[in-house]
Amino acid sequence: MSENNQNDPQTTGHQWDVEADGSGALEEFDNPIPTWWLWGFYGSFVICFGYWILYPVWPMGDTFTKGISTIEYTSEGVQKSSHWNTRALFLSDLQTGEESLKMQKHMDELSNASYDEILNDPKQMAFARAAAKGIFGDICASCHGRGGVGVIGLFPNLADDDWLWGGKIETIEKTIRGGRNGFMPSFKDSFTSEQLDQVVEFVYSLSQADADAAKAAQGEEIFKGQTGGCHYCHTKEATGMKAQGSANLTDSIWTIADVPGAADGAAKRAAIRAVVEGGVSRQMPSWSARLSDTQIKLLAVYVHELGGGQ
Amino acid sequence: MAQTGVAVSTEQYNYDIIKKFSIMAVFWGVCGMSTGVYIASELAWPFLNFDTAQITFGRLRPVHTTLVIFGFGGNALFATSYYVVQRTCQTRLAGGNGLAMFTLIGWNIAILAGALTYPMGITQSREYAEFEWPIDLLIAAVWMVYLWIYTMTLRNRTQAHIYVANWFYLGFILATALLHTFNNLAMPVSLTKSYSLFAGVQDAMTQWWYGHNAVGFFLTAAFLGMMYYFVPKQAGRPVYSYRLSVLHFWALSFMYMWVGGHHLHWTSLPDWTSSLAASFSIILLIPSWGGMINGIMTLSGAWDKLRSDPIMMFMITALSFYGMSTFEGPMMALKSVNALSHYTDWTVGHVHSGALGWVAMISFGSFYHMIPRLYGMKKMYSEKLIYVHFFLATIGVVVYITALWVSGIGQGLMLRAFDEYGNLAYTFIESVSFMHLPLATRALGGAFFVTGMITMAYNVYKTIQMAKDVDQAGVNNIASKMAKA
Repeated sequence: MSENNQNDPQTTGHQWDVEADGSGALEEFDNPIPTWWLWGFYGSFVICFGYWILYPVWPMGDTFTKGISTIEYTSEGVQKSSHWNTRALFLSDLQTGEESLKMQKHMDELSNASYDEILNDPKQMAFARAAAKGIFGDICASCHGRGGVGVIGLFPNLADDDWLWGGKIETIEKTIRGGRNGFMPSFKDSFTSEQLDQVVEFVYSLSQADADAAKAAQGEEIFKGQTGGCHYCHTKEATGMKAQGSANLTDSIWTIADVPGAADGAAKRAAIRAVVEGGVSRQMPSWSARLSDTQIKLLAVYVHELGGGQ
Repeated sequence: MAQTGVAVSTEQYNYDIIKKFSIMAVFWGVCGMSTGVYIASELAWPFLNFDTAQITFGRLRPVHTTLVIFGFGGNALFATSYYVVQRTCQTRLAGGNGLAMFTLIGWNIAILAGALTYPMGITQSREYAEFEWPIDLLIAAVWMVYLWIYTMTLRNRTQAHIYVANWFYLGFILATALLHTFNNLAMPVSLTKSYSLFAGVQDAMTQWWYGHNAVGFFLTAAFLGMMYYFVPKQAGRPVYSYRLSVLHFWALSFMYMWVGGHHLHWTSLPDWTSSLAASFSIILLIPSWGGMINGIMTLSGAWDKLRSDPIMMFMITALSFYGMSTFEGPMMALKSVNALSHYTDWTVGHVHSGALGWVAMISFGSFYHMIPRLYGMKKMYSEKLIYVHFFLATIGVVVYITALWVSGIGQGLMLRAFDEYGNLAYTFIESVSFMHLPLATRALGGAFFVTGMITMAYNVYKTIQMAKDVDQAGVNNIASKMAKA
């Protein structure tokens, strides 16, 4: 094991891990460091010094070097200037950024307009559609779906013209602001199984052609009488009350029982029966604390238009 | 002849422990990378969750990272570092067989424990350090023993000088001891739950100080150590520049410690901390390239081997990916670039160009060099399968990172795009829909890479079998000679 192999003047002269036959030694050339590498190394320090001069970088006790780069912004109406920092940068971007100013102009216009003015102004409507698409997509779509069609049994469809709580734009705004509690009690213990079947048959007959007329008539008695009292919420005409969010049972639109999706008459009836037996409890959260007035306004316009509006 | 080689080696060096670490590395590599492909597929096709909490992305992701970084990477580092330190110091591992065996068993129990506890939701939620405190203690014990064995072996060397690879390995062991200890300071409240001693942004900063240095020392410095031994050895050429190796070693070791904050740009981290990290990230580029140049230039004069030697092909590809990802890293550490890349798949692609392209490729090359030698063979069972592995791995990495550049940069651009009114143009879910195809492609790239890994496992298995057959033949030979006598 020769420590100093001087045969090759280019190496450092050290050798390691020589095989038994003298081959395979690890050696190191004593080449100089490539010039470009060294200059690159120095260069990166120069770039760094530039960075250190411009921006806050080095901690100094309980403060830090501020750098010479500054940001202008307005805070509570007062023009301010500060060293570069991300909070000031954010404010300055909001206050002077090109996109931000553009959006602000449209937002101001919209927040000062009445619903009538907005609905009748194609320009404002175009802006509202574009602006609300993002809010709806990021917030409402997680339940109601990207197109607002909801999920039968869970989340109402906003894209049809049937409104549980009313489709006037002011009502929609109220719904978004305060949220809604949809409730129907369970009738499992109030009815016998036979009575349940009769009520179900009546509800079925309201929108379906192949109902058993006699059974439906018995069900109607329960529905409209004291025994069931269904009409207290759904009305004697079974068309529902917007003030309570009770469903119209006479149209073929179903939000809880998946009647359209059921295979045959028996399955459709079973779907309705499940609702009568189990009741309904649904909640839409209130958004007044989480969205600005203008955002709620935008959403009201958007949802109103989704469902064809009332 | 083969069995004589084995006999000499077993006497001179502790090869047994290296064999075991190597086999564990290959085993965890197959498991960890397969898990990676599975969770990548979950992102593209979410039904693969099967509504089972234990196998959702969030639970399996740390299993994947733990198995590949610590299982595959860690065992590969134990194996190669024990190999390199013994051979370059011309001495047996210090502390005897028992201590080395303790590091093997302790380390692999820790990895197994991690892989079993994460799906159950037992985790510290610290990236790349999810192990709960009992496992952390085990790792700390293993690591102290590892440090002791390594240092004492260096002290026992019969060579005057310490070979460069050992600086990198020792630097990695020391830094990892430091990082592991401080990042995991926690107050246990039960056997499976503890709370970090740090809170809020300090906690985040501690995690990324650890996280980036896990990349810097565990996944970079240590594998540079591997490179500094196996590249010149396989090429049969001296290391290009001793001076460069000294300078870039110290520059890397010094710079890496500062840059963790660049993982927290545009957060509640103070602006000065974030800028400091960004500026040191810029200085880090050239020292990183020092390792790449030293590796690539070592091959000058042996360029012909790049055509004929698949092991060399692994090594040069690894060095190229190392150069590329260490260029990409400092760029992504700039705040303006980071504003686009952060929280997107670009980051994931970047880390895999380093992890698959650099870490895994240099390990594959080194293993194909080392494993036959451990078993007293001249080469692997099949050189053709090394070629197959090389092409599968290379196609895999390229497909993988290209897909995630598309996904990440596309996602970043969509999330900051404005429409004609100055509104954000896309909803979040639209960016998710856009990512479906790139994410599916990424899973495909990963599948290529795993297939390569499985090819390697088979090749290693056959090589070991072959060595056993040769040994058996030798024994029979001697037995028959003795019978005749």
